[in-house]
Amino acid sequence: MTPASRVAIEAKGLTKRFKTGRTFIEVLKQVDFDARHGDVTMVMGPSGSGKSTLVATLSGLLRPDDGQVTAMGQDLWSLRPGRIDRFRLDHCGFIFQGFNLFSALTALQQVTTVLKYTGLSPAEAKERATIALSEVGLANRLHQRPTELSGGEKQRVAIARALAKQPRLLFADEPTSALDGENGQVVIQLLQRAAKQHDAAVICVTHDPRLEAYADRIIHIEDGRILDDRRTTPAHESARQPELIEA
Amino acid sequence: MSLALATLIYESRRYMAAVIALAFAGLLILAQVGMFTGIVKGATATVDRSRADLMIMPAKSESLINSGPTSLPRRLGPQLYLNPEVAEVASFDGGGGRWSNTPGKGQKQVTTFVQVNMVDPEVGAVTLPTDYSEATRIALLEPYAAAVDRTALARLGVKLNDTATVNGKTIHIRAVLDGYPDMNNASVTVSRDTLRLLGMLEKGEKTGPLMVRLKDPARAEAVRDQLNAVSKGAYRAWTRAELSKANEGALLKEQIIGLFLISSAVLGFLIGVGITSMTLRGAILANIKEFATLRALGVSMGSLRVIVLELSFWVGLAGLLATAVFTYGVYLLGKSGGVPMGFPPVAVILVALLLMVISLASGLFSLGVLKKSQPADLLR
Repeated sequence: MTPASRVAIEAKGLTKRFKTGRTFIEVLKQVDFDARHGDVTMVMGPSGSGKSTLVATLSGLLRPDDGQVTAMGQDLWSLRPGRIDRFRLDHCGFIFQGFNLFSALTALQQVTTVLKYTGLSPAEAKERATIALSEVGLANRLHQRPTELSGGEKQRVAIARALAKQPRLLFADEPTSALDGENGQVVIQLLQRAAKQHDAAVICVTHDPRLEAYADRIIHIEDGRILDDRRTTPAHESARQPELIEA
Repeated sequence: MSLALATLIYESRRYMAAVIALAFAGLLILAQVGMFTGIVKGATATVDRSRADLMIMPAKSESLINSGPTSLPRRLGPQLYLNPEVAEVASFDGGGGRWSNTPGKGQKQVTTFVQVNMVDPEVGAVTLPTDYSEATRIALLEPYAAAVDRTALARLGVKLNDTATVNGKTIHIRAVLDGYPDMNNASVTVSRDTLRLLGMLEKGEKTGPLMVRLKDPARAEAVRDQLNAVSKGAYRAWTRAELSKANEGALLKEQIIGLFLISSAVLGFLIGVGITSMTLRGAILANIKEFATLRALGVSMGSLRVIVLELSFWVGLAGLLATAVFTYGVYLLGKSGGVPMGFPPVAVILVALLLMVISLASGLFSLGVLKKSQPADLLR
């Protein structure tokens, strides 16, 4: 496979302004960005640097004022809103800092509720949800509600919910900042496995320096500009990293 | 189990306010419908439960209620027997009188105007209602004996076996009736002979409305038409059902109760929508991040709306169940106090529909909150 075809998402000249009072703040300034399948791409930067806005514009959640996003070969922002929803349903997974689980649903139901909308039958959804929860090590916690789960387990349920529909693009926003070191490590290893085993493009926003060790590529962003784009593993090697996959 | 139903069950305490609001809105309307129906039943009881198949009234009378003095020429009675299908004719007399109780120690003197009705306390008499017990019939055989409905006892300041006066003549309460409440004047029932002793029986050329029993009750409508065809404008014959309906209509039209019913329905609707939509709104807001996550994962706004509407549907259903329980409680309460209540199926279905509409309307109102479920906000 040629390196060009491994590109999952590519953005050119992304610009986003927010109005505060009478002035506009330019949060993203002509940002060019790309991410590849099989890579864990970390976007790091201080708060207010525009990293979350970047992820929002890349994933079809927030329309940029200028610029273009090509995701999975489609010009994302030229699609109608309904098609963008559909694009996210088909291709995108999200993991947030707050786990955002419905308190009324069991771990299994959290996952099947989303899968239902992808057109799977209830039996298929249940089967796939069980597999996804087993992959994150929660095979014996399927029928627990969020109040009965620890913070780390909740985030793993959220990861299972994001991964169950087998997304090619996985966006994570500060996925470890509400977790202790040990649980944070489990979570980042699961994200890495999503990249290596399922060949997803994982784009992770964080300011947790401990996670750097797990990244294939680290992008530093500050004041809406990319300061630094550094690859920690050679591109051709990024498809395998056995000692970490075993996590 | 769907997300909506699971949420309702798991967070039932959060939704309880909406369910209770719906239940009270429903109760507010149903209790009034129940009492109104009970009153109508009471007002038309003498007709509904009489043995007469036809009633003969003055030509211009529109009902038994508030239609003024209803006197007919006495000669009409014998004349009706000209129709070979007529088995028995009896006049239904009565009148108004000044009532005074005989207060015991610490009791209040009650002086009021009462409606005096009459029956013929003979077995199977056409004027004797079908639900009078044999004991009541025998009690009324006694001169100056009177029967009073349970709900009127306190109003008239008497109890069983007390003494009172009507137009200055002493009577004795010898029987208590059930199911004959009167929302206008309290009414007292006596025998025809007692009515004569009280000086209230129509004398001379006039009588009250006539009650007619037929040889074949099934022929009531045909005979009514025959009698009306030869009435020459002197009277009008009504079937029992027809007159009962006219009485009901007169009550609804002429009494303030129709207004009560409409205003309580409007009030119930407003209370229901107000509280239910607030509760639903709060509940959705509490889960707004989770909804936003579903949006991020690609679930469309339309699908989220379906979830909210399904939630309102279940809230409505729970509200209906609670209404049924509350209304049954009020019914039992009324029954123990001798207040008859009736729940016509049409009214119950309408109230059920109204509650469901309230619930779904509240759901629609709170849909606006979903606009706040912008997944981009989760990334801030």
